[in-house]
Amino acid sequence: MSADHHYAPGTPRPERWGLLDQTVADHVSQPPVFDYEATLHACAQGERSALQRLYVQEGPRLLGVVQRIVRDIALAEDIVHDAFIRIWKKAGTYDPERGSARGWIFSVARHLALNAVRNDARYVQHEEGHANDTEHAVTEGWQAYTDTFDWRVNPGRVEACLEQLEPVRRNCVFHAYVDGYSHQEIAQRIGAPLGTVKAWIRRSLTALRECIG
Amino acid sequence: MTIESNEPLYELAGEYVLGTLTATERVALERRLPLEPELRQAVDYWEARLLHLTELVEPQAPSERLWQRIQRSMEVSDQDAVRVERRPRPSRWNSLPLWRSFTAMGMAASLVLGILLFLRPPADPSPTWLVVLATPQDLAPGWVVQASHRSQEIELIPLGITQVPPDKALQLWTKADDWQAPVSLGLVEPGEPLKIRLQDLPPLQSNQLFELTLEQPTGSPTGKPTGPIQFIGRAARML
Repeated sequence: MSADHHYAPGTPRPERWGLLDQTVADHVSQPPVFDYEATLHACAQGERSALQRLYVQEGPRLLGVVQRIVRDIALAEDIVHDAFIRIWKKAGTYDPERGSARGWIFSVARHLALNAVRNDARYVQHEEGHANDTEHAVTEGWQAYTDTFDWRVNPGRVEACLEQLEPVRRNCVFHAYVDGYSHQEIAQRIGAPLGTVKAWIRRSLTALRECIG
Repeated sequence: MTIESNEPLYELAGEYVLGTLTATERVALERRLPLEPELRQAVDYWEARLLHLTELVEPQAPSERLWQRIQRSMEVSDQDAVRVERRPRPSRWNSLPLWRSFTAMGMAASLVLGILLFLRPPADPSPTWLVVLATPQDLAPGWVVQASHRSQEIELIPLGITQVPPDKALQLWTKADDWQAPVSLGLVEPGEPLKIRLQDLPPLQSNQLFELTLEQPTGSPTGKPTGPIQFIGRAARML
């Protein structure tokens, strides 16, 4: 599975523009041949080759997502290991009514990664550090804050709505979802007071929901 | 349902999916999920909408070992599953994460053991059995159970104050490997040490499980654990 498939800047993706529905966006952003739901069903039946197919299909992307959050390759592999075992054991509990099979798989891995970093001492260190750092934070100029994520490369519905947020609030959303940063870490990263960051994230979520519907 | 009416629910669910909730908030929300369909729905909403953002991350090639590890664990998990089918009511006691957590608890046990040995005057007869009860999620030690070899009494010692919702109580359970079901050892006051007579129970065994679950203020109505596990651990014999 090559990174180019998703990230080569020159790759034309006209079919991804203007999509109105996130589930459609999810569908076309995957290779169409892979049937995630059928693969989970096969896992639930105890078909080991199905889990292997899933690993070949999504292992590198899951590892990328997890590694970005936990920032340690050995821990990331541990978590992807745990995620695949959980997928193997819980495949039978996947409910298509509640969302896409691919989404379920990513949720399993992401939440294991988030649990690992939230339970980690790193969180405490940042809490301690925050009092000193943010009191002297720059509190102006966020309007001019630029994007730190190259997020327009593969637009879907959520991206269209993110476009309507100020860049600094958009960055808060990305730092949380993609980097797995806590409120404190985001505050430190962008040099804003903790309370401001919390309010931005809450309001961004409400704005996104009003936009996405 | 309008956006306004359930905004706090969607905010909370959104923060959970984004990942900005603290460890405690995450655990609390995950406990609510099976009980609250609206919250579940709000989480599903965000999972589906934000999934696309995972594509901002570069894929990373796993090491060759990773699949081999997964394959081995898959085989172990299948063997466990076969064993589970043969037993009457075993799912909780045979879950892989649970047993995996015991390994980590072993380390916690040796740590607490070291501290206890250091703190206790040498004249005090040392206990023969020790159990570290840790949280299932992050393995934080919360209680220690110790028991001497001869006496039919166990001592439950808090390592900190446990937060319990006002309408709930902590109930202590134990189960040895060959027992059919856990046995209640009664309700436990958070943060307070407790001595319990094991009158009708056989002496402690190696690997005997202890757990504290969240139950009704008067204890579990069924006589079996019904609420979520707050702390869990296994008995280890001290040398």
